[in-house]
Amino acid sequence: MLKIEELKVSFEGEHVLQGINLEAQAGECIAVIGESGAGKTTLGLSTMRLLNGNVSGKIYLGNTEILALSEEEIRRIRWNRVAMAFQNAQNRLNPTHRILDQVAEPMIAHRYGDKAQAKERAVEILKEAGLASAKFHHHPHQLSAGEQQRVLIAMALINDPEILILDEPISSLDAGSRMEMITFLKRAIRGRTVLVMTHDISTAARLASGVATLYGGRIVELGPTSAVLSHPCHPYTRALLRSYPNMTTTKDLQGIKGRMDRLVTGCAFHPRCTQAIPICQKQIPALVKHDGWLVACHRGGIISALSVNKLSKSFGQLKAVAGVSLTLEHGETLALVGQSGCGKTTLARMIAGILKPDKGDMWLETGKSEQKGKDYHRTVQLVFQNPGEALSHRLTVIESVREPLEIQGVGTKAERDEISRRVIEEVELPNTDKFLDEYPHHLSGGELQRVNIARALVLNPQVLIADEPTAFLDSSIQAKVLKLLMNLQENRGLSMLFITHDIAVARKISDRIAVMQKGRIVEQGSTSQVITSPSHSYTRKLLNAAAELHSGDEDKTMPIISSET
Amino acid sequence: MFTRQNLITYLVALLIILTLNFLLPRMMPGNPIIAIYGDVALIQMSPELEAELTERFSLDQSLGRQFVSYWVALFQGDLGYSYAYNAPVTEVIFGRLPWTLLLAGLALIISTILGIVLGIESGWRRGRKFDGSLLTGMVALSGFPDFLLGILLLLLFAVNLQLLPLFGAENAYSDLSGFQRLVDIGKHLLLPLVTLVLARVGGGYLLTRNAMIGELKEPYILLARAKGLKQGTIRYRHAGRNSLLPIMTRTGILLGLMVTGVLFVEVVFSYPGIGLTTYEALTYRDYPLLQSLLLVSALCVLTVNFIADLLYAKVDPRVNYAR
Amino acid sequence: MHVDPKREVVQSKGGRIGMALLLIVFFLAIFAPLLSAYEPLAQTTQIFAAPSWDHPLGTNHVGQDIWSQLVYAARTSLLVGLLVAVFSTVLSALIGTSAALIGGVYDRIVMRLVDAFIIIPIIILLILLSVYFSPNLSDGSLIGIGVSIIIAVVGISLYAVRNLGWVGIFIVCPVIALVLLSRDIIPSTGGLIIILSLLCWQGGARIVRAQALSLKENTYISAARGFGASIWYIMRRHIIPDLGPLLVADFVFCVRRAVFLQAGLAFIGIGDPNIVSWGSMISDAREWIFLDVWRWWLLPAGIALSVTIVAVTLIGYALEPALDPRLKGEISAQN
Repeated sequence: MLKIEELKVSFEGEHVLQGINLEAQAGECIAVIGESGAGKTTLGLSTMRLLNGNVSGKIYLGNTEILALSEEEIRRIRWNRVAMAFQNAQNRLNPTHRILDQVAEPMIAHRYGDKAQAKERAVEILKEAGLASAKFHHHPHQLSAGEQQRVLIAMALINDPEILILDEPISSLDAGSRMEMITFLKRAIRGRTVLVMTHDISTAARLASGVATLYGGRIVELGPTSAVLSHPCHPYTRALLRSYPNMTTTKDLQGIKGRMDRLVTGCAFHPRCTQAIPICQKQIPALVKHDGWLVACHRGGIISALSVNKLSKSFGQLKAVAGVSLTLEHGETLALVGQSGCGKTTLARMIAGILKPDKGDMWLETGKSEQKGKDYHRTVQLVFQNPGEALSHRLTVIESVREPLEIQGVGTKAERDEISRRVIEEVELPNTDKFLDEYPHHLSGGELQRVNIARALVLNPQVLIADEPTAFLDSSIQAKVLKLLMNLQENRGLSMLFITHDIAVARKISDRIAVMQKGRIVEQGSTSQVITSPSHSYTRKLLNAAAELHSGDEDKTMPIISSET
Repeated sequence: MFTRQNLITYLVALLIILTLNFLLPRMMPGNPIIAIYGDVALIQMSPELEAELTERFSLDQSLGRQFVSYWVALFQGDLGYSYAYNAPVTEVIFGRLPWTLLLAGLALIISTILGIVLGIESGWRRGRKFDGSLLTGMVALSGFPDFLLGILLLLLFAVNLQLLPLFGAENAYSDLSGFQRLVDIGKHLLLPLVTLVLARVGGGYLLTRNAMIGELKEPYILLARAKGLKQGTIRYRHAGRNSLLPIMTRTGILLGLMVTGVLFVEVVFSYPGIGLTTYEALTYRDYPLLQSLLLVSALCVLTVNFIADLLYAKVDPRVNYAR
Repeated sequence: MHVDPKREVVQSKGGRIGMALLLIVFFLAIFAPLLSAYEPLAQTTQIFAAPSWDHPLGTNHVGQDIWSQLVYAARTSLLVGLLVAVFSTVLSALIGTSAALIGGVYDRIVMRLVDAFIIIPIIILLILLSVYFSPNLSDGSLIGIGVSIIIAVVGISLYAVRNLGWVGIFIVCPVIALVLLSRDIIPSTGGLIIILSLLCWQGGARIVRAQALSLKENTYISAARGFGASIWYIMRRHIIPDLGPLLVADFVFCVRRAVFLQAGLAFIGIGDPNIVSWGSMISDAREWIFLDVWRWWLLPAGIALSVTIVAVTLIGYALEPALDPRLKGEISAQN
């Protein structure tokens, strides 16, 4: 088995790994995922003690602690007990040696056989790895990148190592060869302790039983693959998954705000995190057990920004909202989908603190809240449906945007102006005096909605409720506004509750969906899950009626959805 | 790699030399025989001999005809007659050639191998004391012309310490044979050999060292270390082998210049090879000998470069694809 | 490829040492009359005199003052080295760029010639040519050589001053001083200089051509062609200036080769015997190695020669990144 304790690696003053703790049991395969430059290759090289910088900590291969060994002892261990399938690069294979010789070399060097035996075994392994036998006597430059990768992997297996490190094993293969390689790898890693370093999450998903997320030189999350990938705890893992194109996720790709910076104090991720609190800047969070697996976060992983519990509201006889419970996690977009009249807007207004619920309570990040008071409104803001009506016709653009700041008494007049102007730029409106002095009736629908959004953002809320924000807009403008909202979420780290009747839009914009019918939530779950396998009939009806671009072969009658159903 | 381009180049070179060989004496004013045979001819030549030579070289005929008979004579292997040595040129040259080949050949082999090994070891330890001192030494050494080195060595070992002989290839007056003769030849060979090796090793060393430094940065070196190979293996079989191309190219060129490159050293040590012959022919203004020497060396160069080109590809397969 | 020659030399330790040493040699050469008490060729009756205040390095087999010979010989080596390099560099620049720009048959012929010359053993050719061409030149060729020297030196001086700034002036002044002071040896060494130049330009031409070929592909060259520029204009205005660092490096290596060759030739007796050079000094001294006199005759001449060559070599190595930018920071061996 492989155990890494408090591994710290630095090169010329730059700290690449800052205290790694990782353990892989015999026969287990753990994937280490992270972006390029995170330190995955360095981690891999450290298990073979091939690093040139300052290394401290302990690494156990079985019972042997390798950092304490002499050069000769570690030389003997290399490629025998632990081998690495390197990432392919130009001149990774010696350009003047033939393929077969290179693959057979370690076996001969470590005296596992004579030349003939080694060559035989090399031929066997190369065939298994899928290399055409004609290429065995060629030189590396005569092979394609994919073929070279196979050679590298075959080479790693030749001495039958107990521990195998795979560094980006399929990155240089084309899509067709990848499946083949994964199948081969699945066989090859059986019985071995394996570390797979990759930025490709599907590789991790297919090969590994456990996954560790590497960020800023530390492991920030470590747990069973299926659990972590479907419900990540650490905001960075979630962000990685969001930015990774795959067939499962339906939401549009989103980046992660900011860049990795190693010189950050405290938690390395906090400048990019949506739920950072003061301690995050001061102290490095330890990797501790939380809900079944390990997360390094002062807040114990992603927390909820807002949760409502059995909220109810009736207008006379009409039960508009009947016992709704919802959780909006930090930095996520939750779409509330339902037809008109289902109670969405009522719910939205209750959450925004405009309407008082009859029953139920609401919890913010900071604790139970009374949905009123100035502080509440600083945290939760609402973007209304009809922009024309939401803005006062007597106020100019700048005056409307500035209004919340004036109400809350934020800063001096000059500062309020400054903030307003910046937010107006953020929503991609012109920051010119001419525009700022315009009255609403001179603006187009799209511009009005942007002003609306700007006004909602000016107090820097954590939770943004968007109530059918594009209902009154042309579809071309709709796309722009939706993109704007997603960008704002990415840049500001907003947690967004997105209310819409259009499940197609919800699909593109949200991480989770809650389906509402007649004041009740009938289904909620991750967007990809709900869209591909809905469990409630109403959801299915909504999906069937959703906009599609191709006409079906069979005669599809549009089911009529009425409020009676 | 043997290509038509190379062949044309060699032929052009050969043509230039042969034509110069032909033209030069005929471009000088005055009696061509004197130009060809030098002032010595005036003294030693009888009128009959002069008439015979005039006929043989067609000197009284047109330039075109002379050109033709020049080539005819060449193909017959008639290189003329040396007045300084009083023997046919062919005899003189081929009597001396083996000594030069021995000296130059050994020097080339030793300095190349030494250059390679030192270059590899130096490149491996780049920046450390071994490398630093060796590099400084080699650069300093490269400033000494080979004849100067030779004289210094001669001074030290032959004159002052009297350990080794002063001149010649072997002791001319004894009749040693077998092993004793070999030892004698060896003693005479030692100083000129050492001189040549010292003069040549720097170039090869620097080339190899540079190539080595470049190769050690390549990704396959990390892979070789990971495979648990011994340091020596990595140094020679991997990095070293890939550093050979530049020095091989240089050796190829030097091989060709082998015969003429030893001139100064032969003069210093009075070693009876082609170089010394050239010097003596120069001193005596023995033009036929000089011209033939040029011819022989040129042929040597061409043949050797030919063979060297064919061998490159075997040493480093990258050559074929670089072209 | 933007290598600044003066920066490369100044930054490398070897380069600095080389420049320092070379300056010393230049100093000796230029101020030779002031530094020596005797005419180098003046024979006295005191033969093999040991070093004394009067004769700092003693006298040789015909009573000539060795120290005087030593410092005057510096002129020979430097003059030959510099002038050969000047002609050779000019030739390689012109031939290399024209081959690259004109291309076609002209290019192929030139390249075959270049390759052929590189293969031919220089020594033999030099010997033959030197023997057949007598050292003393006719008046006509003398004027020809004189004029070409003036043109070449002036041309290169202007280039150095314009491109290398104050360092250029620093370099050009000693060179011009040297040429003027040594004009007495020009008639006899002129022939040798010409011949050496004719055999030294090939190496540079190859490199220049390669670089010109790659420069030629630049769009601004096509633009100039679009304006109707002739080949010569493009060569002069666009290509040769960009070749600057390369030509400087080539120049230095040429100096080294020329000094080497001249010394060697003098050693075997080719050249004007009335001109004193380190090579001829070594050759003369060699005959008397049985006597103690080698200590102050052979050795100083040998050291002077070696120091000069090492100095130029070091400067050349510092400039090598100009030929191949990948070599920055490393010494290699072009020659």
